[in-house]
Amino acid sequence: MAAAIIRGAGLERYYQDREEFAPRPGPLRPGWDAVPVTICDDGSAEVRLVVDGLRCASCVWVTEHILQATPGVEEATVSYATGRASLRWDPDTVDLGTLAGKVAALGYRPRLLGEESKPDQGLVIRLGVATFAAMNIMMMSAALYLGWVSAMEERYAALFRWASLLLATPVALWCAEPFFSGAIQGLKNRVLHMDLPIALAVAVLYVHGFISTLVGTDTYFDSLSMLVALLLTGRMLEGRGRRRAAEAAVSLAAALPATARRRAGDAVEVVPAGDLVPGDLIDVGAGEEFAADGVVAEGEATVRLALITGEAEPVLVSAGDEVVSGAVLVDGTLTVRVERVGDETTVQRMAADLRAAADRPVRLSTADRIAPWFTAATLIAATLTVIGWLLAGDGGTALRACVAVLVVACPCALALSRPLAAAAGLGAAARRGLMFRSADGLLDLVDVDTVGLDKTGTVTEGDLTVVSADDTTLRIAAGLERFSMHPIARAVVEEAVKRGIPLPRAEAVRETPGKGVTGQVDGLDWELAAGGPGEVVLSSESREIGRIRLGDAVRSDSAEAIAQLVDRGLEVVLLTGDHEDVAGRIAAQAGVTRMRAEVDPAGKAAWVRAGQESGSQVLFAGDGLNDGPALAAADVGVAMGTGAASSVLVADGVISTWSLKPLVSGFQAASACERAIRWNQRRSIAYNIVAVSAAAAGWINPLVAAILMPASSAMVIWGSSRIEASMNDART
Amino acid sequence: MNSIFFLLPIALILGGIFAALFVKAARDGQFDDLDDPPERMLHD
Repeated sequence: MAAAIIRGAGLERYYQDREEFAPRPGPLRPGWDAVPVTICDDGSAEVRLVVDGLRCASCVWVTEHILQATPGVEEATVSYATGRASLRWDPDTVDLGTLAGKVAALGYRPRLLGEESKPDQGLVIRLGVATFAAMNIMMMSAALYLGWVSAMEERYAALFRWASLLLATPVALWCAEPFFSGAIQGLKNRVLHMDLPIALAVAVLYVHGFISTLVGTDTYFDSLSMLVALLLTGRMLEGRGRRRAAEAAVSLAAALPATARRRAGDAVEVVPAGDLVPGDLIDVGAGEEFAADGVVAEGEATVRLALITGEAEPVLVSAGDEVVSGAVLVDGTLTVRVERVGDETTVQRMAADLRAAADRPVRLSTADRIAPWFTAATLIAATLTVIGWLLAGDGGTALRACVAVLVVACPCALALSRPLAAAAGLGAAARRGLMFRSADGLLDLVDVDTVGLDKTGTVTEGDLTVVSADDTTLRIAAGLERFSMHPIARAVVEEAVKRGIPLPRAEAVRETPGKGVTGQVDGLDWELAAGGPGEVVLSSESREIGRIRLGDAVRSDSAEAIAQLVDRGLEVVLLTGDHEDVAGRIAAQAGVTRMRAEVDPAGKAAWVRAGQESGSQVLFAGDGLNDGPALAAADVGVAMGTGAASSVLVADGVISTWSLKPLVSGFQAASACERAIRWNQRRSIAYNIVAVSAAAAGWINPLVAAILMPASSAMVIWGSSRIEASMNDART
Repeated sequence: MNSIFFLLPIALILGGIFAALFVKAARDGQFDDLDDPPERMLHD
């Protein structure tokens, strides 16, 4: 069966290419032999690819099955959400070039991960040609329709019809090819999706027009070319939205530092992070990220692990302690003996686990579910029309009415309703700071009833801020700390500036990593040192002068956003790895009534799954790599784009600002989008019922069809454009 | 009115030339990236 599909799809494409344009890059691209693959312990080779051009659930199905049916392939999985394929095969039996060729022969474009994603040039050209033909055909059709009123000479009418046929031929045979191949693939996999009624309509319109031109009667070429141009527009919109979201995720994923300073004898050389090998000694200074996992060889420093643990407070490390890549050195200097590099590092392994978890099962869209019913209903209506008119004894009208039924039963509005509404909904949400990877993620928000929020970085600032301090203490502390990059120092200085306290000049300032800072202000010696969790103590000559309490403050607009979520009837729960007391204080400030303290990453994911088992649709919003498992498990995962790159990779959506407000906008956009899709689908079904009845009664001619069909599409466009308007209403 | 028998093919040929130019432009990558170029000057 696999071979049959390849032959069907492959030969068809080849034929189209030869007939119309210069050949596109052949299915077998050179260079697949040079692709680096991972060789597993059992001798099998493994690689991850991206497959472009996957349009539907059945595309994924067919790709997977063809690969799995190839001898030598041990494992092949394809993810619809990300377009990623993972392959494991026996290199002695089959090579990667052959496998990539099989995928390419289906009409999809395999490429290496990280290789630039090329937009579908073929689609742009098809759309351009279809639009060009549609505009010219419509002009000539306008002349023909006027000819009904002021009797046009038959030879002119014939000229216009033949010219229309000339223009409509590439539209039907080449521009509409994606719909034909989609329909054929669907039929072969016994999946009837929206391409089938479209292909059927195009075929009926073209064959009817061809015969009409020969015998000199009215054609529907204007409707045909417009239908194809509109549907190609819808398909391009859909692809563009998906590609942009994918690009946003990729650009955020560039995480690790590109270079490291490696010790070479007494000297230090700068090398690419990829060149590091275990055993190397690297120097890391303040503000730098660790390029690899390792053990501290010498030095002492504070290190911020926010990316990995999600907690803001830096920790002190010294010789013998382990550090991981992705952590940031706050102050001090370290020499680290490298232990794990590249894909072996903790961060990369966690990210890989999450990517695997992010590959979710595929769903059929509503339009695809309606498609078989739509096709069946149209065919039944056409048959009934013929039978009806034959019973009435009018054979000529029977044929004409039957064609009219097939022609006006326009799947156009139905097929366009989702991509247009989704594009408008995704755009509306994105403009308000919430970017979704796919329309599925956005629409899933509609069913969400439980919202889990991570504390640090999501509800709170994620940075230390001063909770309480008196002005005198703050003034001196800020003077001592003004040149330090330590998070506590920055919080103290920021608070002093906020209160309008002029910063005094400090002299002889000495900073000891992990201990504190000493120096002279106003001619006196001061010491600022850690004094218990979340507290620093200012003392002069061993006498305590004052204390500054620091904590992670709730973001200024979090409470409002949470109140709005609660107003929407959502159950909001705060989850954190922090101690119960801290969590309780934050929950009270943010206006959250339910919370769970002291949960680890696995605990957050378990909470999500427990919610799902009790029948809830769970949204989880978080930022750290530690939130990754919960983000992947949730029905909708929303990552703070300012957080860890890997959590962005597994999330369905990304908030691009420091706020929870976009989440509220996302819910509004989702329900507006869902309303619009339903509205669109109801209207297009109503249109089809009216139009098909009129056609069956023999009232439809090409002019009426040419007005009705774009009208139904315009209705859908209007319905989708209301999303932005309703969002603006909701805000005021 | 007979002139239309010349004019219509000429119009179609001219239009066809422009369609061919469009196809060439698309193949050269003219429409590959419509979002970045307007912002590129801001990144320099």
